Amino acid sequence: MANHRVGETGLTESRPPNHHHHHNIPYAVLHGMNVPTSFIHQEGSAFGFGELEEAIVLQGVNIRNDEAKAPLFRPAATLEMFPSWPIRFQQTPRGSSKSGGESTDSGSAVNTICSKTENQLEPESPISTKNTTPLDHQQEMASDFSRTGTSQNQPVAKLPQEKRRGSTSEKQLDAKTLRRLAQNREAARKSRLRKKAYVQQLESSRIKLTQLEQDLQRSRSQGFFLGGSAGAVGNISSGAAIFDMEYSRWLEDDQRHMSELRTGLNAHLSDSDLRIIVDTYISHYDEIFRLKVVAAKADVFHLITGMWTTPAERCFLWMGGFRPSELIKMLISQLDPLTEQQVMGIYSLQHSSQQAEEALTQGLEQLQQSLTDTIAGGPVIDGMQQMAVALGKLANLEGFVRQADNLRQQTLHQLSRILTVRQAARCFLMIGEYYGHLRALSSLWVSRPRESMMSDDHSCQTTTDLQMVQPSQIHFSDF
Amino acid sequence: MHCQTTGSWGSYMPTTRTAATVVVGDPLERIERLASENAVVIFSMSSCCMCHAVKRLFCGMGVNPSVIELDQDPRGRDMEKALIRLLGASPAVPVVFVGGKLVGAMDRVMASHINGTLVPLLKQAGALWL
Repeated sequence: MANHRVGETGLTESRPPNHHHHHNIPYAVLHGMNVPTSFIHQEGSAFGFGELEEAIVLQGVNIRNDEAKAPLFRPAATLEMFPSWPIRFQQTPRGSSKSGGESTDSGSAVNTICSKTENQLEPESPISTKNTTPLDHQQEMASDFSRTGTSQNQPVAKLPQEKRRGSTSEKQLDAKTLRRLAQNREAARKSRLRKKAYVQQLESSRIKLTQLEQDLQRSRSQGFFLGGSAGAVGNISSGAAIFDMEYSRWLEDDQRHMSELRTGLNAHLSDSDLRIIVDTYISHYDEIFRLKVVAAKADVFHLITGMWTTPAERCFLWMGGFRPSELIKMLISQLDPLTEQQVMGIYSLQHSSQQAEEALTQGLEQLQQSLTDTIAGGPVIDGMQQMAVALGKLANLEGFVRQADNLRQQTLHQLSRILTVRQAARCFLMIGEYYGHLRALSSLWVSRPRESMMSDDHSCQTTTDLQMVQPSQIHFSDF
Repeated sequence: MHCQTTGSWGSYMPTTRTAATVVVGDPLERIERLASENAVVIFSMSSCCMCHAVKRLFCGMGVNPSVIELDQDPRGRDMEKALIRLLGASPAVPVVFVGGKLVGAMDRVMASHINGTLVPLLKQAGALWL
């Protein structure tokens, strides 16, 4: 669609713009949106939605009245809520008394404010650039605009490629129009709020990102592992570091999801509402399994040795993560009351996950055996060849960690199938809290106060009176 | 019938045609044929540990699967390629067929065991009683 210069129509500005102009790359063009029409605007010192709504009204009216169904303004695929550039209007002296039909909702017409950068000072309205747009409608639009009596001293939308007529004639205020405008103002206000919230979210995410990057930088330079054991010093591969970062972010999300579950349960939401929260939590878990697939490819040993988890969790580690049957065992006692069918389902799930775990464990054992056979001593004909074979076998580790994660994921999904929505919500809350406690335990353990040894004996012999008096007090001694 | 015709193989050399089919046969057909010969058929390779895991899984359930080791089969190579095409991914093994129908690679087998669909399938194929 062509971009028509308003200047050619000979329209004169009835009042000079109040703000100074500068040109910006229009949002749509910047983002590669399809720009069906042109709408030049200037940036002022403040973005007024007021002008936007006028344009919406005028646009809607015009479209409605357009007999020739010109290629209508096709909004971009995404609803453009945040046009960053204000729309400037030119006051057009106008006036027929034709009252337009109901404009289509503002949503249909001018959602994308787009234009090409131009050295034009005069804006154009987002109307179809069909030349045959009747002038009457533009008159009506213009007078609509003048009627609304916006308090801003802004110019009105200028209409493209039309001959301008002469003077304005006053029209009566149309009740429908008034209501429409009020609705538009409301919508505009909501959009403003949404935009503000979105921008704040972006800002906080940005800050968080820089913080994470700083953490990573610092930890890397110190050679520590992130998100886990303190004190282990060593090189960490980039794949592992990336996963650790993603995991700590996932943990923060986990906290958020869990509090949603908690409030959802306490608020006695409807089942369908709770279902949404539960499904979101399941997707949250799906996310970490996706991340682990990538991590397994990058650094399988990081996963298998559990260096991404805390020490207490590492204690229970099975093939790079939790053991599904153990998790179910933990849950079984807390999930009452269950129907008989549910009980059967849960026990059957535990049974099948045990079988699957056993099978994977045996497969891994065979891998280890085979690896040992390859690299163990004995007559070595070709050392490099031997190493190459061993490397090939080692690569199978990734497959086992993947299958183990697959098993974990399937188990969680099956749990949510067996349980009712409320039970599932409680169940996932329990799981989250369980691991939270494990992690807290790890932190406490790592930061526990240690007595310095006075002798080689256990500290209970090098004690103060206090400790003698309280033998049950746990002494942390250096072994 | 006349024997000098240049028509179809069948009318001229029936035995040769059968032999030709066996030798030049489509590996996928062979896979399907083998898969339907037993209730549970696992395509495997003797050196593959994941295959070992899936064998242990079925044995642990009390199923006696029939195992075809591709690295010990003369046509193993072709069948391996056919399996990769069938699965749309590598590795080709392990692959499990139950009742002549494809269940899938390890992840599908595990998923179907966890979601409870594997055992009924095994019972239906007569591989499992109870």
